[in-house]
Amino acid sequence: MCTFALREAEKADVDEAEVYAISNKESEVFIESNDLKQAKSHKTDGLGIRVFSKNSLGFASTNLFDKDYIRNAVKSAIKLAKITPSDRFNSLPDKSTRINLLNGLHDKKASSFDTSDSAELAEDMLMAARSFDSRVSVDSGNFTSSLVTHALLNSKGIRRQETVSSFFWSIMGMAINSNGVSNFDYQSTGVHHIKDIDVISTGKSFAKSLVNTLDSKKIDSFKGEILLTPVAAAELVQDAIAHSINSYAVQKDASQFKDKIGESVSSDLVTVEDDATNVKGLAASSFDREGIAHKRNVIIERGVLRKFIYNTYTAKKAETQTTGNAAGSANSPPTVSTTNFIIKPGKSKLESLISEIKKGIIINRFSGNVNPVNGDFSGVVKGGRYVKDGNITYATKEVMMAGNIFKALKDVTGISKEKRILTDSILPYLRIDNISFTGG
Amino acid sequence: MKDLLAIDDLTSIVSKGVHETYIEARYQSRLTNEVNFSNGELERIRTGLNAGCGIRVLVDGCWGFSSTNDFSKSALREALDEARAVAKVLALTKKNKVKGLAKISNPVTGLFNTRVKGDLHDIDIEKKVKITKEAESDARRYSSLIKSVSCTYHEILDHKIIVNSDGVKAELYESRPEFSVTSVAMKEGDRVVVSEGRGISGGWEDLFREKDHLDYANMASKKALNLLDAKQVAGEKTTIILDPGMVGLIAHEAIGHMVEADFVLSGSITKDKIGQKVASEKVTLVDSGQSNNAENAAGTIAIDDEGVVASRTVIIEKGVLKSFLHNRETAFHFGSEPTGNARAFEYNDEPLIRMRNTFIEPGSERFSDMIKETRHGYLVKGARNGQADANGEFMFGFQEMYSIEKGEIKELLRGASISGSAFEVLKSVDMVANDFRYDIGTGYCGKYQPAKVDGGGPHIRCTAIVGGLQ
Repeated sequence: MCTFALREAEKADVDEAEVYAISNKESEVFIESNDLKQAKSHKTDGLGIRVFSKNSLGFASTNLFDKDYIRNAVKSAIKLAKITPSDRFNSLPDKSTRINLLNGLHDKKASSFDTSDSAELAEDMLMAARSFDSRVSVDSGNFTSSLVTHALLNSKGIRRQETVSSFFWSIMGMAINSNGVSNFDYQSTGVHHIKDIDVISTGKSFAKSLVNTLDSKKIDSFKGEILLTPVAAAELVQDAIAHSINSYAVQKDASQFKDKIGESVSSDLVTVEDDATNVKGLAASSFDREGIAHKRNVIIERGVLRKFIYNTYTAKKAETQTTGNAAGSANSPPTVSTTNFIIKPGKSKLESLISEIKKGIIINRFSGNVNPVNGDFSGVVKGGRYVKDGNITYATKEVMMAGNIFKALKDVTGISKEKRILTDSILPYLRIDNISFTGG
Repeated sequence: MKDLLAIDDLTSIVSKGVHETYIEARYQSRLTNEVNFSNGELERIRTGLNAGCGIRVLVDGCWGFSSTNDFSKSALREALDEARAVAKVLALTKKNKVKGLAKISNPVTGLFNTRVKGDLHDIDIEKKVKITKEAESDARRYSSLIKSVSCTYHEILDHKIIVNSDGVKAELYESRPEFSVTSVAMKEGDRVVVSEGRGISGGWEDLFREKDHLDYANMASKKALNLLDAKQVAGEKTTIILDPGMVGLIAHEAIGHMVEADFVLSGSITKDKIGQKVASEKVTLVDSGQSNNAENAAGTIAIDDEGVVASRTVIIEKGVLKSFLHNRETAFHFGSEPTGNARAFEYNDEPLIRMRNTFIEPGSERFSDMIKETRHGYLVKGARNGQADANGEFMFGFQEMYSIEKGEIKELLRGASISGSAFEVLKSVDMVANDFRYDIGTGYCGKYQPAKVDGGGPHIRCTAIVGGLQ
């Protein structure tokens, strides 16, 4: 069908055309209110057509693969290209050499993995959490298996296709006792191979982290250290960095990292990579949304900013090469995005990071706003535990925190050996100094 | 584009049931158009069709769901078989089986159209491109300190058919446009970002009735510019006057989510509170499928995706908790009437309990008196986003605030967040103004799937924590 779509576009009066299609066979079991809720099984499709006509962009998508609908989508894309302004940076990447597909992303057994397997694993995770401690209440969760085939063809001769199997699971809920209800906690992770699925660990660690935050107390305002779990690091740190290294933000003058290549932007403990070729990561794939081979990109090396991430359009504008970060679904033209966002683990054990804290808070989650442009953040500590002289004392409640993430990056005082695989990142625990906490 | 499925096709599928308690077939054909200009360049343009049929069954006390984008009889039949098969798989493990669904007394039949002025199908894409480009350009030219602007026009046009085994046979056309401008002002390395816009249920003329595209452009840039010179506020617990958008966020995030019946069953703090006083008696809080008090609220739906009429549900009446938000399953469980809150985003999503338009009813006080009677506090404006927690703690971000001293609005200050415990804050409400506006229609609520919702209210005065730099 991709070939048909490309041929249709080439027949028409366009200079360049690209077709991207995704098919996803998915089975999912939902958890709700401490029980299995619903099972779902289906296949979804999408096909997107991007055309350039005299450097003007047109884009249309359809999930219906009948020839009439494909023809119609091609027509719509061409119609848009006739009315949009011309932009000399609009072009498709040239055909590059053959790429080798990554090994380790497709479990051949995935096609026989079915809904009963998903149901059993969802139940196992639920039981692991509930049997760990009866005060744990699971609000929601899921186990999903997905088999995605994506393909890209363009008029310059690029032809790519690959199949990726993934298994994701998540669990969200709270702990309840006679003194009240804890904050929500949320954990999620995934793998590409059936043999690597471990829902029990997720269930247990979710439960353990929840009951630790019961019987919370208000605290007085202070300035001190924060220890971010990988989930909290994703909420507080990842988005701000991902925004600032994105060439779109840089070119829009909306990045704090503009003109800072080669400069120190964080503590020298911090090394950040974007690496879609890390097959442990859930955002791994062999090629990007324009068919460019993925590669490992070192973004921040021991505190020094090394590069931004690009697609073909932003790279052409910056007179550089794409980094293979064209991103997006088949429903929209390519943007730029990180793939597997990785903060390299450090040398310290988590427990020693905690034991070195004089006065601070360990937080499970950060619920608030991070302004990725100027870095200001303000929000509430979730699942906070107060640490005094290296000892975890009690859980905190109604603590707000505020500051600036770019200043905070320079105040990173420790990174754990331990790491977690999240939806689009692999992150360790981060310890940061000079954070303002406001008590309720 | 021709209709891919008709009511009869869905009726035929639904009639294939044998032992099912319930079967529902939903056809949805969605057309999405989007234009975005950033800094003088077209950043994104797309038109997309997503159409298919979702089939959900309740069998052996378990829910199964499947969907297809193939409209042949055999494919529809396969989707039904798949939904049935996965429900039966679940029945082997699920402990608490669904006991039943609340009855629909008069199954809905017929056609429901969003009331629109200026059908979006009739507005050529060229015009949509033109106004987006113009607004972006105007916002950028507002001042040399405006360094970056992004302007988006987005529209969703849905055609839906909902048929179920309880006799519902309804067809709906829904129209949801939105328009927004984001301006970034910069001076000496300092940046302020402000967004202005509107998202509605309605047509082209409805979208731009109060303000046109250039008004939004000027508002965004003007505010961003003013905020460049504004200071940050220090954190404190104090008197806060919330604008209608912030009231909408409180109603939605801090209360609405707490009373979604699926969440109540997981142990929400509202679990045993029906009939209890949870807020000041000045507070009446509603979630409604209708656009009450003002027109074109973005979360307006005629019926929900289970075929229940989406009426006005009073959650809190004069401070007393009256109702949860239900689908038919939870309504049966609680022995209540279904409230029409079962919503699915696309054809391949299953209906979940979601809000619609959530708001606090206007009161009798004048906004000017509210300011006059405040010794020290803040007027908080421009809802950004927010979250609420299992224990009722919430936090919302906002764009700008003004200090109030001795009954007068004083200094403009930078946006920050406010937080508190939902019911404590609602109990602290001591003044409710007589104005009203919906103002969170450009956002989406996320709960496994997006949902288009709205929220609003009058200005209200309460006590909460404002967080800033120490």
